[in-house]
Amino acid sequence: MSVEKVKQNYSSREKDRIFEQEFLPHIGSMYNFAYRLTFDEDDAKDLVQETYLKAFRFLNSFQQGTNAKAWLFRILKNSFINDFRKKSKQPAKVDYQEVETFYNSEDVDVSMTTDLRVETVQHMIGDEVSNALNALAVDFRTVIILCDLEGFTYEEMSKILDIPIGTVRSRLHRARNLLKEKLQAYAKSMGYNK
Amino acid sequence: MATNLFNWIRQNLFGQISCQRCLELLELMTDGEASPEEEAQFQKHIDDCLPCYETYNLEQSIKEMIRTKLEKKKVPDDLINSIKQKIRNTA
Repeated sequence: MSVEKVKQNYSSREKDRIFEQEFLPHIGSMYNFAYRLTFDEDDAKDLVQETYLKAFRFLNSFQQGTNAKAWLFRILKNSFINDFRKKSKQPAKVDYQEVETFYNSEDVDVSMTTDLRVETVQHMIGDEVSNALNALAVDFRTVIILCDLEGFTYEEMSKILDIPIGTVRSRLHRARNLLKEKLQAYAKSMGYNK
Repeated sequence: MATNLFNWIRQNLFGQISCQRCLELLELMTDGEASPEEEAQFQKHIDDCLPCYETYNLEQSIKEMIRTKLEKKKVPDDLINSIKQKIRNTA
């Protein structure tokens, strides 16, 4: 995917304005995303800080009028993969077997075998939802956060994650099926859905 | 058998999409990514198909659950200041 790189030449005043008005308002979403990647408050803080410092350093690569939030999320995601995962004291919880099984299955199964019910979902509390989401491998967790929590479009997700839209869709589909399995298992263990 | 015949009539005589096609459109609909034409086909199908309608409802309720029930962590008080300080130091 080619990303057009047109360098801007902002004055320091413009830089400050963009940083204050277009970048900083997203710090809440950024911090929460970082926390859901690292599961650690200090790590999340470092990751967000690193992201904002990079964003400022490379501000001339940012085009005004484009989606600042998507641009920031892309930097954060790259920082997490390139720098952070390596030095993080807590290795990201990735169930590689789970990832592999799902990435390698070509057939997209559209049948719905879950007997999860709307009422069960509506009665779930925050912790239960969190646990189910956090139990997913990081790549699957990420697409659900970007799409359902942050409301990014497929096209924006494709740019943030550097993958084609088709891959965004299939990954999201698999992530949702996995999430349903976790929710279903949880509902069963709690005696719902009898 | 009767169901198959019913579906065949719906799809071939009334231009209805199949359940398979409906489920393929499900996530596009849930995520607001379907084209107006896909949206119309989808709506027409779920108006008459309870299982697909229920699946769509479930999909929507899970999305809603993620959006509304996940705990949002408060940004640490000193984070913004610490970022600004670091930027000033490197400027």
